[in-house]
Amino acid sequence: MINGKMWLVVKPTVGIPLFLAGVVVASLSVHTALLLNTAYFPAFLRGAAPARTSDVGPAPGVAMSKVMLEQR
Amino acid sequence: MPSDPDKVFPTGLTAGQAEELHGYMIGGTRSFFMISALAHILAYILTPWLK
Repeated sequence: MINGKMWLVVKPTVGIPLFLAGVVVASLSVHTALLLNTAYFPAFLRGAAPARTSDVGPAPGVAMSKVMLEQR
Repeated sequence: MPSDPDKVFPTGLTAGQAEELHGYMIGGTRSFFMISALAHILAYILTPWLK
């Protein structure tokens, strides 16, 4: 395939950092979305015991974050 | 006319170097994929995700 020829057009000193930055942005946005929209991720970061699947109520969404902020 | 293998392109690379570099990019991406797949398996097992 010709994909390798992209480095004849895009300087690696520009393309590689851009590529990695894209991966960072994607990863941060997914983890942020999980943090805001699940109960188990904030609980994990608080060091809570892993919730059994039966315990877990509906994902509270942003409301959960407000609760966390108030508890601080 | 077969392209000159030693021609240096504007980015400072020859065609062979570009292919070599791209090989490393693909290898790195595969490693990232395997680590990510493992993380998703662990997330599926250890969290209520998708249950």
